[in-house]
Amino acid sequence: MFDTSRLTRFLPPRMQSQIDAYFEALDVLLSVKDPKVLGALGPSGVRGLILHRGKQGTPTDMPATHVAHFDWTYPSDQPEMADLYRRAKVGQWNGDDLPWHTSVDPFDPERPLIPEEFLSFEEIEALGIKIDKNERTQLSYSMCAWMLSQFLHGEQGALFAAAQVTEAVQFFDGKLYGATQVMDEGRHVEVFNRYLDTKLHKLYQINDNLFVIIDSLMTDGRWDMKFLGMQIMVEGLALGAFGTLYKLTKEPLLKELLKMVIQDEARHVHYGVCALREHFTKYITERERQEREDWAFEVALLMRNRFAAYEVYDEWFEGRMTRAQWRGVVDRSKGMVEFRTTMFSRLVPNLREIGLLSPRIMPRYEEAGLMRYFGGLAADKLTADKLLADLH
Amino acid sequence: MELDKAQSGGERANEARRGSGPAALLPATIVVRLEALVRDVRTVLNDFTGARPAPYSVREPLARHLIAVTPEPSPGITPRRLRVTRVVRETKDAVSLTLTDPEGRRITFVPGQFFTVLVTLASGEVLRRAYSISSLPDEDGAAAEVTITIKRMPGGRASNHLNERVAEGDVLDVLGPSGNFIVTPDPAARRHLVLIAGGSGITPLASITRTTLAREPESRVSLVYGNRGEADVIFRESLESLARDHADRFTLRHVLSDPPEGFTGRTGLLDHDNVTRELDAIAASSGLDADAAEYYVCGPEPMMIAAREALLARGVEPARIHEERFSAPARRTTPELPKASALVEIRLRGRTKIVSAAPGQTLLEAGLGASLPMPFSCTMGGCGVCKVKLLSGNVTSEEPNCLHEEERSQGFVLACVSHAAAPCTVEVP
Repeated sequence: MFDTSRLTRFLPPRMQSQIDAYFEALDVLLSVKDPKVLGALGPSGVRGLILHRGKQGTPTDMPATHVAHFDWTYPSDQPEMADLYRRAKVGQWNGDDLPWHTSVDPFDPERPLIPEEFLSFEEIEALGIKIDKNERTQLSYSMCAWMLSQFLHGEQGALFAAAQVTEAVQFFDGKLYGATQVMDEGRHVEVFNRYLDTKLHKLYQINDNLFVIIDSLMTDGRWDMKFLGMQIMVEGLALGAFGTLYKLTKEPLLKELLKMVIQDEARHVHYGVCALREHFTKYITERERQEREDWAFEVALLMRNRFAAYEVYDEWFEGRMTRAQWRGVVDRSKGMVEFRTTMFSRLVPNLREIGLLSPRIMPRYEEAGLMRYFGGLAADKLTADKLLADLH
Repeated sequence: MELDKAQSGGERANEARRGSGPAALLPATIVVRLEALVRDVRTVLNDFTGARPAPYSVREPLARHLIAVTPEPSPGITPRRLRVTRVVRETKDAVSLTLTDPEGRRITFVPGQFFTVLVTLASGEVLRRAYSISSLPDEDGAAAEVTITIKRMPGGRASNHLNERVAEGDVLDVLGPSGNFIVTPDPAARRHLVLIAGGSGITPLASITRTTLAREPESRVSLVYGNRGEADVIFRESLESLARDHADRFTLRHVLSDPPEGFTGRTGLLDHDNVTRELDAIAASSGLDADAAEYYVCGPEPMMIAAREALLARGVEPARIHEERFSAPARRTTPELPKASALVEIRLRGRTKIVSAAPGQTLLEAGLGASLPMPFSCTMGGCGVCKVKLLSGNVTSEEPNCLHEEERSQGFVLACVSHAAAPCTVEVP
């Protein structure tokens, strides 16, 4: 995307930012090649990127269009899901048991929330913006609170999407498992909310791009699209984000909290792979499969390119650098590079495993630099221990 | 028909939205859509005028984050060791001990809770006594140090030991914190707490007062505090300092039975009449709404009975009256202990185990000894966490304990102060 500031530099900074935001929204919508995918993502894109429905200061109502699928014969239809259900039951934990007594000082240099090099301060200073040591610590704190706020908003989406998926899924063993995931997501909302309220005292608004993804999967009536959006894409994003922060933070309570959450997330992605593998390879037409393949690619790009922490930009740098410059800073920052690596190393093998990475789409992944993750282990082969061990 | 009266939450919200203006003429669904459209247009316009809301909000701990947490059952009754870092003599008969964790772990508690202190006498005998926390937690619900306050009881072995023998640097074994006589701080709350304390009953109420004034800017506290003489008033200076600092939100009223010359407060015991007069005075000065306030009472038994009667006579709903009773084990009636072992069937979360309770062993000790994760906290009949339902058989329990009459009538007993007098079956709720 080009830097709109060259055209708008005579306007006030806020207006410049806004025009850049609109161009970015347009760029997202125009980049979608498949009209069906555009039809699925477009309305959510308008609601999130243009109307900022998540930032209007009022609760958001999202109408649901899915079908609740009942089966009065209670079949034992998916042994792998039944096994996941058993593991999920014994894997439950109590958010109250985390070491909440830990005193968290966001500005403690001995136990930083995120390392100083997470954002590239050199790049910011290269733009002529001086930030002293105190500001660096404050900015790192903002960045961490922003990430955790997005985790919390994502978990709220995951909670409701998991409930919808439980209603809509066609496998009875999947419904039982789904109930445990609803509980898991509720607990995740609880612990992230508690951490932000009691330790960091700051909550950022939902990022517009995250809103688009949540809105899209909540309002899509097709159960497999909900699964794909929720269990593969959003959970993959979550694993990438949680994993990055788990690896980088030195704050002991946050580390422990993320460790527990990651263990749950490993099950969630496994569930998605289980449910979709057979369905995508056996029960849908090639045209339908291609649509899902394209949708997944577009959402993957949305996740790769668009989580630019604009809310932190609005707080810190509006009027001091352009939005495009901030995008560059975030894009090249060590923390975000780490995040993308962790996310795609989990996501790409899962897409391969469920049949949404056929030779037809590979060149586009190659072009986006994502094919190097192709050979990794999919979620059904990954244990929580292995996941955590990879993060050390 | 009852169903006709039923109205969904959504409909009620829509009714409220429509109000009485022109919108009242439109169907609710249209109003909702119009409102959404107005918000959308306003958002787009604000984008251009630069009137966007701040990208973040400042957050404070919510009440749901700070609720009382029952500690996870451990394999046995394992106390926690805390170091005494400060000893402050409050009155000639009361001492405050400030405690910290030797490993630096902060201590999580809710104002109003107590620790069970295991006091080891020179003879080696271990006594368990409950002492309330009088300090306040930090904003996140934990604190690096906590203060408990102990009043010497006539002939009390534990309270005398703690008043006379404990010094800075000593280590105390404690269980808990426990107890449901709590006020969970809620920064958004606008409430009136009426606290009635007698003697050392001030301890949990001091924590509640301090925390409420510090964390709830819209709440008010009225404290009626009865003592014999001025020299017996625990936390006298700190309470007066709070009254000065929060003159608009904190009313402090002393009642003394043996007042010094010039004392202008009420005199006499905190009996039915004096409690009524004090409540009248609070009502006159602060516009007390009996139906909106919450009442917390802690003190000697006669005062507690008098306060309850006075409150009920004023029409206060029983659910708004919260009481903390500590019956010193020394004054309890301990039934004769069974002389033989008895088999106890314990049902817990779908599991059933039959254990043998040795003579002198409580149901709790027997269950924990068999590795059953039975819940417990204070282990001395003061918090109710270990209550179990007696399904069959017979147990003997130390009385009085903290079980309510209703719980007793439903067959509950406290596992920590009950012994199996015959083979029995209990269920952990």
